[in-house]
Amino acid sequence: MNQPTSIEEKSLSWPIRTDENWRFGSWKEGNLEGLAPVGEGDGLELPAPLEGATRFVFHNARLVSGDHPAVTPVEHSFGPKARLGSEKAAELHRRECQHGLAISSTESIFIEVIHFVSGEGLLLPSLSIKSDQGALVKVVERFISVNQEDATTVLTAVDLDLSAGSRMKYLVTQELNRKSRLVRLADSCLQENANATQGVVHTGAKWVREETYSTVDGIDARSEILSIALPDSGQEYDQRTFQHHGARDTYSDLLFKNTLFGTAKTIFSGLIFVDEGAHGTDAYQTCRNLMMTDECEAHSMPGLEINADGVKCSHGSTSSRVSDEEIFYLMARGIQPKQARTLVAQGFSMEAIEKFEDETLEGLATEVVLRKFEAVV
Amino acid sequence: MISETDTVQQVALEKDDIGNFSFPERHKFDAGYGLTKDTIDYISKVKDEPAWVNEFRHKALEVFRSKPMPTNWATQDLENIDFDKIRYYLSDGAKPKRSWDEVPPEVLETFDRLGVPEQERAFLAGVEAQYDSEAAYSNVKEELAKEGVIFVTATEGLREYEEIFRPYFGKVIPTGDNKFSALNSAVMSGGSFIYIPKGVKVKHPLQAYFRINSENFGQFERTLIIADEGSEVMYMEGCTAPKFETATLHSAVVELVALKGAKIQYITVQNWSSNVFNLVTKRAVAHEDAEVRWIDCNIGSRVTMKYPGVVMKGEGARGEVISIALANDGQHQDTGAKMIHAANNTSSNVISKSISVGEGRSTYRGQVHIPKHLKGCKNNTECDALLINPKSRTDTYPAISVKGNQHVTQHEASVSQVSEEMLFYMQQRGLTEAQAMSLAVNGFINDLASEFPMEYSVELKRLIDLEMEGSVG
Repeated sequence: MNQPTSIEEKSLSWPIRTDENWRFGSWKEGNLEGLAPVGEGDGLELPAPLEGATRFVFHNARLVSGDHPAVTPVEHSFGPKARLGSEKAAELHRRECQHGLAISSTESIFIEVIHFVSGEGLLLPSLSIKSDQGALVKVVERFISVNQEDATTVLTAVDLDLSAGSRMKYLVTQELNRKSRLVRLADSCLQENANATQGVVHTGAKWVREETYSTVDGIDARSEILSIALPDSGQEYDQRTFQHHGARDTYSDLLFKNTLFGTAKTIFSGLIFVDEGAHGTDAYQTCRNLMMTDECEAHSMPGLEINADGVKCSHGSTSSRVSDEEIFYLMARGIQPKQARTLVAQGFSMEAIEKFEDETLEGLATEVVLRKFEAVV
Repeated sequence: MISETDTVQQVALEKDDIGNFSFPERHKFDAGYGLTKDTIDYISKVKDEPAWVNEFRHKALEVFRSKPMPTNWATQDLENIDFDKIRYYLSDGAKPKRSWDEVPPEVLETFDRLGVPEQERAFLAGVEAQYDSEAAYSNVKEELAKEGVIFVTATEGLREYEEIFRPYFGKVIPTGDNKFSALNSAVMSGGSFIYIPKGVKVKHPLQAYFRINSENFGQFERTLIIADEGSEVMYMEGCTAPKFETATLHSAVVELVALKGAKIQYITVQNWSSNVFNLVTKRAVAHEDAEVRWIDCNIGSRVTMKYPGVVMKGEGARGEVISIALANDGQHQDTGAKMIHAANNTSSNVISKSISVGEGRSTYRGQVHIPKHLKGCKNNTECDALLINPKSRTDTYPAISVKGNQHVTQHEASVSQVSEEMLFYMQQRGLTEAQAMSLAVNGFINDLASEFPMEYSVELKRLIDLEMEGSVG
């Protein structure tokens, strides 16, 4: 499989202003130099259990509970190789990470991982998920701040590995406090006939940098990438994605929904890359920004690089507010304008959530989204 | 028409590369190879420029030297430009004469197939130094002069009409905008300066052809068009027929200023030979209720980098870019648009269609910017790419920044092929596969081609037929 030229030969240095991978982004935030690891932490009261899930709980780097034959606690990084701008951060993760989980299953399982995060400094969790022999592996990963004061920087990496014919559903919820930062590196690789849906819900943190690299490398593989983000004043979400098609007749679809409140800022940069010879690829990419105020700002860079034939590719990006017609329609049914606006905005997020096609995951995502609405509106 | 052959010698023509050939030349003025302060002083002296222009050039040279190549985002092919091997100024008032025998047969065939008039052929092939437009267009020129339209070369504009052009010169595209605008500012020669007085609506499209004895297709041409309040003008440059140049770097700067309620349409058809780096900066400022349309067609060159822009500075201003690109083997058409909204209720529209043939690569790069505290801005961007062969390549890199919730932007891009069914259907009706493909491609760009003036649009279609030949079957 070819490597796109754009990600070759990156020297390992912290981001600089002219780095195209950090265009519009707060490249200074991307410098994690000199951060000491956080110490011991505590937890909070556990959220209601998810039906059918085995739960693993971390207090910072310490695993406090959880047991499952398919899950092995690890004390090192699986070795992420970021290719979208955070190469230096990935190197830091490889070197410094000392905790995480390796999930590998040939049978269908459902695992929930909760990270309770506290303390000033750097926390580096690692997660690898492998689905084999046609199994459906479901994983929920949650990042929750224990208090509102600690400025924790979470540098987390995940690797999804789907062998032929296997399936995966993976949901991340990010509910960090407003002083924390998150750098999240997500890699996935799908072999023949594999089928993955991965998604994130972002409601917390001061600054998020997320790099999602999805490779579909086997015939008839299907990859779905979702994001539901609801930033408000003082929050900046910087998401970069890469949909790499390395084999013929592969499919990928990306849907990012941002609802921006206050002075929020979002950056979406996505690229669909179709290798030479990956004929018959279907690849789609959509980023929609719902602007709730006059102060928010959204940057979108949807990109395509197509080197094959017989390809169906499209991308779309829109930025707008809730339309007056929709408000009018709801008002005509006796709903107050403010409530109408909220309803429409919630519906906007739901469109992405529904794509999980799993009641438990959809329920959790909805719960996190609604909590944000309560806090903001 | 065959001119003297004793001024020219053998043509070095490499068989496999149409663009890579050269003609021996003789020039009265030649600034030599490489770029130094002396080069600039030489150009200023030859052109008899005021001191401030010379100073402007020197400052630009410093900026050019200080700026890095934009290879952090642009093609690495730019590294192959050797600035020391370029001659920055050549002129003897006329271009070198060549003989018809030296023009490659493919070019002659292309002229035939396109139906280029005899007189224009001689000019385009470099056989004649000038296109004798005096007879054909003298009526037009007279009419223009009567209405107060100023239409002169850049050199003349800065020398004779300083009070009109200087306030706008280098303001839309400052020297430091990018490395190549700085290069142009240092060594500019050729191009047009145009001023349309208040309320004047120029009926005929203006073309560089109109001026005789001009450096129309300079390597470093500089054009500035000012349309005063309520005026209208359409300007055309380039042509569909291939132009053969020995120079490998073209770096033009085009600035447009549309004052209140003015309308400017700027039409370009670019068909440089396939050894040329065509790195062009084009930008317009549209004031209140003004409208600027860039209509752009790129067929030739090795690498074209061109992103026409409109800064919508006044309320109600409109900007539009309509672009067609065709990339064949060995070509990279890196084109796009920049729409900067800087006032309320401004709207912009970008429609780009590209066709990649053989191993050609076409790229769309766009920027839409809507800053804080504005309302009612609208942008629509559509880019469609058509891939003809398995090795054809296309990329799209838009960037859309929106601040605030009182705007609407939408961007859509698609990549497709000519469907087998469509080809099969046409072949059933007696067309060959190549004819069917050509028809399909012409259908793909049909709605945009109709935006060009009629004679261009006809030539464009023929040219696409030509380019498509041999790409299927």
